[in-house]
Amino acid sequence: MSSAIDPITRSVVQHRLSSIVKEMGEAMLRTTYSQILNSSRDFSLAICDTGARLIAQADHLPVHVGALPWATLVVEERFKDIAPGDVFLLNDPYHGGSHLPDLTVFVPVFSGEKRLLWTIVRAHFSDIGGATHGAYNPAATEIFQEGLRVPPIKLYEGGRPREDLLDLLALNVRNPREFRGDLAAMLGAAHLGERRVSKLFNEFGAPVVEAAIEAILDATEQQTRAVVSTWKDGVFFGEAFLDDDGHGRSDIRIAAKVTKKGSDIEVDLSESDPQSTSFVNSSHANMQAAVAMAFAYLIDAEIPKNTGALRPLKVIAKQGTIVWADPGRPVTLCTSHPSNEIVEAIVKALSASCPERAMAGWSRRFRIAILGEDPRTGKNFIWHLFQARPGGGASSGGDGYSSIGEWHSVGGLKFGSLEVAEVRFPLHFRQHEFRENSGGDGQFRGGLGVALDLVLEIAKPALGNTAGDGVRHGPCGMLGGEDGVTHDYRLISEGRPPRALRTKEIGIELRPGDCLEVRSSGGGGWGPPVKRSPQARARDREQGLVTGDTTAGQKSP
Amino acid sequence: MSFTIGIDVGGTYTDLVAIDEAGKTIFAKSPSTPSDQSVGVMAGLEELARRLHLTRQQMLGLTDRIVHGTTVATNALLERRGAKVALLTTEGHRDVVEMREGLKDNRYDLRSPPPEPLVPRELRFGVKERLKASGGVSTPLDPRSLDEAIAAISRSGATSVAVCFFHSYINPVHELAAVERLARELPEISISRSSDVLPQIKEYERVSTTIVNAYVGPLVRHYLTNLEQRLSEAGFEGSLFVILSHGGMAPIEEASRLAAGTVLSGPAGGVSGARRCSDLLNIPDLVPFDMGGTSTDISLISEGRASLSGDGMLAGQRIAMRSLDIASIAAGGGSIASVDVAGTLRVGPESAGSVPGPACYGNGGQAATVTDANVVLGYLDAGAFMGGHRPLDAAASEVAIDRVAALLGLSGLQAAAGIVTMINLKMADGIRLMTLRRGVDPRRFALLSFGGAAGLHAAEVARELDIKRIIVPTTASVLSAWGMLTSDLRYEVSRTHYGAGARISQPEARDLFAELEREATGRLRSWFKGPVMTERSAEMRYGEQIFEIDVALDGLDWDAPSLVDQIEDRFHRRHEELYTYASRDQEVVFVNARVAAVGQVSQREQDSRPLPSALACSPRTTRQAFFGAWREIPVYALDALRPGHAFEGPAIIEAETTTVIIDAGDRVTVNALGWLDIELR
Repeated sequence: MSSAIDPITRSVVQHRLSSIVKEMGEAMLRTTYSQILNSSRDFSLAICDTGARLIAQADHLPVHVGALPWATLVVEERFKDIAPGDVFLLNDPYHGGSHLPDLTVFVPVFSGEKRLLWTIVRAHFSDIGGATHGAYNPAATEIFQEGLRVPPIKLYEGGRPREDLLDLLALNVRNPREFRGDLAAMLGAAHLGERRVSKLFNEFGAPVVEAAIEAILDATEQQTRAVVSTWKDGVFFGEAFLDDDGHGRSDIRIAAKVTKKGSDIEVDLSESDPQSTSFVNSSHANMQAAVAMAFAYLIDAEIPKNTGALRPLKVIAKQGTIVWADPGRPVTLCTSHPSNEIVEAIVKALSASCPERAMAGWSRRFRIAILGEDPRTGKNFIWHLFQARPGGGASSGGDGYSSIGEWHSVGGLKFGSLEVAEVRFPLHFRQHEFRENSGGDGQFRGGLGVALDLVLEIAKPALGNTAGDGVRHGPCGMLGGEDGVTHDYRLISEGRPPRALRTKEIGIELRPGDCLEVRSSGGGGWGPPVKRSPQARARDREQGLVTGDTTAGQKSP
Repeated sequence: MSFTIGIDVGGTYTDLVAIDEAGKTIFAKSPSTPSDQSVGVMAGLEELARRLHLTRQQMLGLTDRIVHGTTVATNALLERRGAKVALLTTEGHRDVVEMREGLKDNRYDLRSPPPEPLVPRELRFGVKERLKASGGVSTPLDPRSLDEAIAAISRSGATSVAVCFFHSYINPVHELAAVERLARELPEISISRSSDVLPQIKEYERVSTTIVNAYVGPLVRHYLTNLEQRLSEAGFEGSLFVILSHGGMAPIEEASRLAAGTVLSGPAGGVSGARRCSDLLNIPDLVPFDMGGTSTDISLISEGRASLSGDGMLAGQRIAMRSLDIASIAAGGGSIASVDVAGTLRVGPESAGSVPGPACYGNGGQAATVTDANVVLGYLDAGAFMGGHRPLDAAASEVAIDRVAALLGLSGLQAAAGIVTMINLKMADGIRLMTLRRGVDPRRFALLSFGGAAGLHAAEVARELDIKRIIVPTTASVLSAWGMLTSDLRYEVSRTHYGAGARISQPEARDLFAELEREATGRLRSWFKGPVMTERSAEMRYGEQIFEIDVALDGLDWDAPSLVDQIEDRFHRRHEELYTYASRDQEVVFVNARVAAVGQVSQREQDSRPLPSALACSPRTTRQAFFGAWREIPVYALDALRPGHAFEGPAIIEAETTTVIIDAGDRVTVNALGWLDIELR
């Protein structure tokens, strides 16, 4: 214990800080405009201190957890005279951001003259300018084709918004009204947090809160080290592959060398493949976040996700590799890819150290966006595929979740009602059921993906784009378990031969009556298939999750 | 002489309240009998009659209405003891209920297996049929595929069937045909039809709610029919009503048919009671705070009204029927204190329950609970617990608390104070989510403290939230049963109107609501002859939003050409109220229309109390308790307090089933009803 604060005060302050970030999250959820925020909840809240340490965060998107301290660091370095009422904003991946659609706002919290904490909101915007709608541009070869870059800027000065800067931002996106609405919601949430933290300072006095924070971080570190020290020491290796970068390179390797000694973990990603020309590169902050995410999945779920939990973790990587691109490279896909592969490589490596904790592979992301006209209204529509959620990995705790998501979202992304989608879009969801035989076999079976047959009830041709990965490499099996079956998306169009969709395509021509046969991947299996109980196998058959004469329970077409 | 009787079956006790036409109110409590709740109910009626100096036969003969809150459905769901259910659904969409829209709880827990759905996959049958979003038929119902599914259901041994087809909320034609066929082929089977249970868009919510209905329906029907028969044999000739999750009540046939609507039957009585308190005291804004042994229910009375929501979830099951907005926190007097590996004090989520209970119960419980902390601090009098019928073992509390204290390196007293602080924070958090999450500032509300454990914690919880006023009714320990007597009869119907991008028109809106009103009042009048009122509302949102908000539409001019503008204006104003802004240039989407028919039962007046007493108000005794330091604290008996009495804390006020802590400087006034009205310093 580094300080003499009593354990009760420590618990009270910890509880308060965590309820403040939760309240900020509630405000965001209820007030944002865009579907990606109010439905899919692609946002995160945090409180950091002036030393860029993560003090408290709300459990929204794991891939943001470890990234916000890096963003805070950049703001601290850039601005020296920070006053009450100032607000800062950034998105640039080479200035503390992860990828361009994620905007982050920072509100400083003072106690008297002294600046102590930041309340921070990060949110994924549905558009950020650039060459394609929605910021995912598989064709991009430089970041300028991905959207508007914003280094740390002072958006409010002494409580007054800089309207000129707000105009500049809104002018550079395709949906300025929604953009302003979502930004207002973020600012509201950050200011709400600021007020509540100020109240905490008034009540306890800043020195007590500061001492309590040190004690919280120390206690969390101790709790984490207690867990890690039960794992086997050694040097472990794991790897995972991206299918391709869409620009000619295949099987891009992410390599993790993990050294575990006592209660310390060192993750070295230096041997990962060189960077790409396309958007599959990772920014530095995003790579840090992906490593933290893998670590968070392996320790206990109840341990607070703050800087204390990350103290046992040291990260080594090399600039110029796929996990840490040189300035100017496109990176938009990075929050899903290579994040998913970074997590998978680390979990694989540590499966030799803490086998009971290492879960089999969760799925990779494969998105489709369609731009077309609704014949019922004559209006244009843009639709994003959130349905057909892929399978989750199995674990020592049991079979994986079906229809649940990717490594970076893990059941936090809601796909919503198909009935509503049919009302709002000229789409017919002919089938949307578990994809039989898709989970990786094992002592515990991977969760199933989904079989979706989607008929386009359009009258004029529409345009499709894809962005993602995972049609060649499935979610990894763990400790003898088999890999989950890969994604398989097909376009069935009368008069044209059926064809498999690639994961990084633009300008796909979609005709009236076309059917997209989406088969999302299953999760990886855990443990040797021979150890699966006969009862569990019988249940799989009875439930129709495993069918046909497959003996191992997967790998049928 | 005639009575109305309210009966609330709780986890530990069955509470009963009788009011005669003069407003005289009598309470009784009797142990609950979970295996057959009607046994405890009949025993409680016996006790109630004894207190009225009547035989049970005489009392029931004089009773014209019994209102009942039951936990049969709640327990069946929590304990997974419902019917074996099969699902009949649209081919290609069998897995909606197991997909849960792609969401899971606890983001960082990747080593827990998925929950088991109420209907396993082999009992979910797809039928060849399909409607379009417009309600038109795109694939006609295929009789062969239906018959195959029915044959499979018959073989499966299922006793209850949920029927839910795509877009049936707009056109139930296929569901009706399937139900007709099912009833003919399998006449013994119980059937729940989604277009009857919840005719609303969003297939996950509809199918899940219909399945819950099918799951609890047969048990609820069996229990209520049985109870009705016992009551009738015991001489009761009046009407038996069941309180529903939305706070209204319905005859047992309705409650059995829409059994999923009874899962909050118990706490709904508490909300009705709170609303009645709000009315009696003319305090429009109240936070009802019902803290018991294992759980705490928090709700909100704003401007005299309880809010309803469709966000309900119980035991992991989505129940989208409208119900009172009640947050249940799994924490209470029995919550267990522990210290984790990092030396952090935690309180809950584990609970000692009623068996073995806190260490001081002397039933073999070793764990230190919140109740034990209250004993160590001198707040609870070990000898006077439950009116002295069930003394507590104070020494056992000390041993348990000392064990926690040793792990923290603190004294027993410090640890006990810490445990109480932590539980108070948890309670305050629950209230914050109930208020701030809805854009409501808790500071302008009064806290209504009831339930066994609430009085011990209300003052500190209120202080944490900057709430300045606490009300403790004398009916605190039986507020739910008492509240049931003040409920109205209520029947709700709703329908989705969801034109593809097209704004609803004035004639459409007028006719839609008129039709719903005919349906709702028609149904209500079939079992109620008194005056009927209607309430109209709609769920709407901005085009890009996904959370609809419920907007009251009473008092509009339904024939005016500007009707739709008026409706949208109501929406903008409500949005601004809730979330601080309105976007008047944005498209407003009309999703669900809703009409409630309300049958008003006569309110019997509250017991008239004696005039303010001239007697001085004096404590019964004093005892040592920890208020920052050990002090000799005056102890008052709630029964002995009279209207007009007033005093300042520190003080302890005791009643048979509850204890209220008054902090130093807080001021207690006994109001005209004999209730405590506490003003925080």
